[in-house]
Amino acid sequence: MSKRMIDVLVNDKKKIQVAEGSSLIKPLLEAGIVIPTLCYHKDLTSDGSCRLCMVEIEAKGKRRMVTSCNYPVRDELKVWTLTDKIKKHRKILAEMYLGRFPNVKVVQDVAKQCGASDKTRFQSDITDYNEKACILCGKCVRACKEFILEKIIDFAGRGIKRHITMPFGEVDPHCVGCTYCSYICPTGSIEVIDDLNNPFDPKLIRDHGMKVNAEMATLDSGQCCMREVGTANIVEVMDRYDLLPVHNFKFGSHPDTPKMDSMVLRQKYFSQEQADACWKGCSMACAKAVDGFKLKTGPYKGQKVVVDGPEYETSAGCSNMGCFDPDFVVEFNFYCDTYGIDTISMATGTAFAMECFEAGLLTLEDTGGKELKFGSGDAVLECLHEMSRGEGFGLKIGQGIRVLKNELKKKFPEKAQWLEDIGMEVKGLEYSEYVSKESLAQQAGYSLAVKGPQHDEAWLIFMDMVNNQIPTFEDKAEALYYFPLFRTWFGLMGLCKIVWNDVVPADNAKKHPPQVAAKIPEHVENYWKFFEGMTGKPLDEQGMLNQSARVHNLQRIICLMMGYGQREDDMPPYRAVGPVTEEEYLSREDRYDKQLQDNLNVDPTKLDLQQKMELTREFRYEQYNKVIDAAYKRRGWNEKGIPTIERLKELGIALPELVGIIEKYQN
Amino acid sequence: MITINNRDKIEWFEGMTVSDVLKKMRYEYNLISVHINDDYIPDNQYDKTTVPDNSSVFVMHLAHGG
Repeated sequence: MSKRMIDVLVNDKKKIQVAEGSSLIKPLLEAGIVIPTLCYHKDLTSDGSCRLCMVEIEAKGKRRMVTSCNYPVRDELKVWTLTDKIKKHRKILAEMYLGRFPNVKVVQDVAKQCGASDKTRFQSDITDYNEKACILCGKCVRACKEFILEKIIDFAGRGIKRHITMPFGEVDPHCVGCTYCSYICPTGSIEVIDDLNNPFDPKLIRDHGMKVNAEMATLDSGQCCMREVGTANIVEVMDRYDLLPVHNFKFGSHPDTPKMDSMVLRQKYFSQEQADACWKGCSMACAKAVDGFKLKTGPYKGQKVVVDGPEYETSAGCSNMGCFDPDFVVEFNFYCDTYGIDTISMATGTAFAMECFEAGLLTLEDTGGKELKFGSGDAVLECLHEMSRGEGFGLKIGQGIRVLKNELKKKFPEKAQWLEDIGMEVKGLEYSEYVSKESLAQQAGYSLAVKGPQHDEAWLIFMDMVNNQIPTFEDKAEALYYFPLFRTWFGLMGLCKIVWNDVVPADNAKKHPPQVAAKIPEHVENYWKFFEGMTGKPLDEQGMLNQSARVHNLQRIICLMMGYGQREDDMPPYRAVGPVTEEEYLSREDRYDKQLQDNLNVDPTKLDLQQKMELTREFRYEQYNKVIDAAYKRRGWNEKGIPTIERLKELGIALPELVGIIEKYQN
Repeated sequence: MITINNRDKIEWFEGMTVSDVLKKMRYEYNLISVHINDDYIPDNQYDKTTVPDNSSVFVMHLAHGG
């Protein structure tokens, strides 16, 4: 987290503080001190190749010259940036650059800073008079490696033959054409001669893409470590905040979580030496892979395979089934991918079946002899293989919770309410893997999502439950308006969500008040600029939300046509809202008792467990109904959850065929 | 007494730092930012910055993930 700050005395008068391990040049430049350089870039690793940034330092009583761009500050020290020795060194060096590249503007500028003007002193056979000559600063090589995680270009040749090239001097087919080598080249030596997709303003796209790449290269390792472990790091975070689903969403954490968290995956499983990516050239590269994994079951038993993942939802789906063995997680991941089965639906559906099995509603006869208890990884894999063949109990799970739940309700009518309470689906889709009990906004974020309870419309748990940033129903409704539309928008544009909030500008919280900071405004602006750069049409928040709202309302109407678009279709199972069973209530008894006291002014010591659970349930559903009332209103929907005709008119989509569908629900 | 995020209360003690508050709240997350009575505290100052009694501390967790 926080690094030790070290005092550095500059030029005998100015004292600055530098974080331990940081290089000298950045704080010196920030303090307004002129340091000439040709190879330094604030967002790239320094390699000290131009030697112009030399300064004199005194550390532990020893005085010497160092390159300030890559000298790591470890102890208190004194720095002199403009001694006679330094001036002489820089002037000679600048004249050498000038002798070799006399017409390159950045060289001329640096020479001027160093008091050098003689272009002839070091003139020779290798003098390059090209105004756009490559000065071998190496920024392009480092940008390729550090921003894009590729090594498409590099130095070749030795001595005076040293030059930048692709392997064997040929065009490397692996180059994705990201153009950042050209963008960062200080002389114009690397030129882009074609712009794919014919963007309106390629520079605008590059300017903002560069910001994203630089943040990934410089900030990720201290933030979410997406390049190292991808979304798997969320497992331990969710466990810590009681949000990791365990045993069909009964609980939010488990003592065995450390057995399969991202530390384990990083140390023992993720095996590819560099970050993996959905597409070559992605600077975040959060996808991960396990090489040479030997399968224990199924049609490929005994074979060594490459497994793409696991990501958070897959791991959390496994904790939801009570399976914390990392070998199981990786095998489950592999076979779901191989069979084309969604890990979330498979895990949530199986967790439901497990709870029914443990309650005696499903028997060995139903499961084909499989002990489908929480933690039974072998039984899960058997079900998965059965599902792929379309047979046995695996097929039942594959039909989804709604089908299985309805069958069991017929068989056990006395357990119908319990089955409704624990069957974690809305609109027929299984819940994704977050416990929403303590976040009212997330409960609605899940169940109002058009496709069913997926977190990718609105993930509001931290804002609501931890930060307490959206305390009123109106605040929550605003979040349930903005975030689903924002997230729908970049999905519509084909832009990845991850670069919005999985790396955050270092000054985000300093620059903005918390309510605004939560939106990460600079990153939202990046998306607008990507849009403008491609289309030529400027965009702002209102424009973005309106574009998205047209589609979102259309989706809601399509949902209605398919029989899922009314208020009753937005009602969550109680497990998503509060504790269904005594075991659940008792596991967090202090929390629930305190809430009874704080919210209902009820003394919990005077009530028995059943009474406390009933009051909690009544209160929580009442709150849920209030929040969706507020959300509907903010979205321009009526109390039935139907878009109003006025709202469609506002958005310019009051087409007769749409109005015809919703008008009967208007009163 | 210190108020965290306008809701949770923790006992104050002499010399209490931001790091002490985070530890007490078990806020172990990389993407957080801290304000004390609306003043932003840089993360390299958590060990050094003391929290006055009766302060309102806001600890924002930024969401990340899929």
